[in-house]
Amino acid sequence: MRRDCDYLIPYIANELKESENVAFEEHMKNCAECQKEYKELAKAWNALPFEYKEIDVPESLKGEVLGFVFEHDKGSSEEAFMAKIRKLFVLFKSQFTPVSTSILAILLLAIVGLGIANVQERGHQAQNNPIEIVATIPIKSANQSHSGPTGIAYIVQQGSEKKLILQVHELSGVEGSQVYQVWLLKNGLRENGGIFKPDENGSGVLTYQLAEGQTFDQIGITVEPDSNSTQPRGEKVAGS
Amino acid sequence: MKEKNAAELMRLVNEKHNEALEELYERYIKLVYGFVMKFCNGDEEMTKEVIQLVFLRLWTTNSHYDPLQGGFVNWLLTITRNICIDYLRKENRHTQRHQEEHEEIAEPVNVIDQRVNTNVIEKAKNKLPKAQKKLIDLLYWKGYSLSEIAQLEQQPIGTIKSRLHQALKGLRKQLELEDLK
Repeated sequence: MRRDCDYLIPYIANELKESENVAFEEHMKNCAECQKEYKELAKAWNALPFEYKEIDVPESLKGEVLGFVFEHDKGSSEEAFMAKIRKLFVLFKSQFTPVSTSILAILLLAIVGLGIANVQERGHQAQNNPIEIVATIPIKSANQSHSGPTGIAYIVQQGSEKKLILQVHELSGVEGSQVYQVWLLKNGLRENGGIFKPDENGSGVLTYQLAEGQTFDQIGITVEPDSNSTQPRGEKVAGS
Repeated sequence: MKEKNAAELMRLVNEKHNEALEELYERYIKLVYGFVMKFCNGDEEMTKEVIQLVFLRLWTTNSHYDPLQGGFVNWLLTITRNICIDYLRKENRHTQRHQEEHEEIAEPVNVIDQRVNTNVIEKAKNKLPKAQKKLIDLLYWKGYSLSEIAQLEQQPIGTIKSRLHQALKGLRKQLELEDLK
């Protein structure tokens, strides 16, 4: 106990470390003698500052002091923000090796680059190359006396690209490897214009990319036993 | 602001209300200025810098003033004195070599002290034995630690501690006598 009480004087003189301070305050709670002494001595200690004389405070001091404080504070909040950024950066850096960082950087650049290119491409097409229907061709059944498949074909153009879009209804179902094949007739010659299978309602749609400069006079649709025909082998069901 | 007490003002200061700090300045600057001028031996430039640091400490401190721990004035003066001591220590580090040449444990002379003495506490202090008065001046007003004083005086630290004990007791007695007058 005696040793603990020795801390009273340095405690009053504010000379104890934080931990010693706490320990002494704990001790004092249970030591009536220290409590009594502290009360008396602290009163004297706390009276010491009042030995000063009152002096007139210079008018300019207020601006100098408060200006200093508020300016300093402004600077330190900016510093704190920069410190946070730096901390984040360090944290980020610690997650990656230089190799993975550079791979990531390259990937990011590639994604951004492709993204921009893509957007520009789309924008370019959308703005300068509207899709235009350049021809509409009705498709009639080949069997004139009976009702049969009918439909419509469009030639659409976007920029320099041309596509044939064909829509046929009331097709009878195909069996096994059978397909409907579209033929494009030009000067009596038939060229393959693509194959399709109708859905369960007998409707079929085909999109065929026309080669540059490709033209045709007529469209014919046949039923082919498989998708390998280079010349029609089956019956013609419809045409323009 | 005018009707708020110091604890309320400090709470506002912690919430960064500029006017609250300004109000604390208005209320306590005379006290702080007089104290720091005495501590800095009348050096106005040093006084200004210390006071800037004191108010900066109030503005940015994370340790809040707790009214249960004692009066605001004591708290403020404790902070002020700590900053004075830190400032002096820093200054001394630069000028140590010069000081060592002149180092003698003379009676600390304070420019401010040489003005007319009408102060109660000053009178009480002057009635203390010379060694005790000197100890208080070195410790309280010059910022020497107890162990530094023990070294300067070439006396055991225990002796210095008990001298301080006696000095504070004596001071207390003198102040009580003053009160009775």
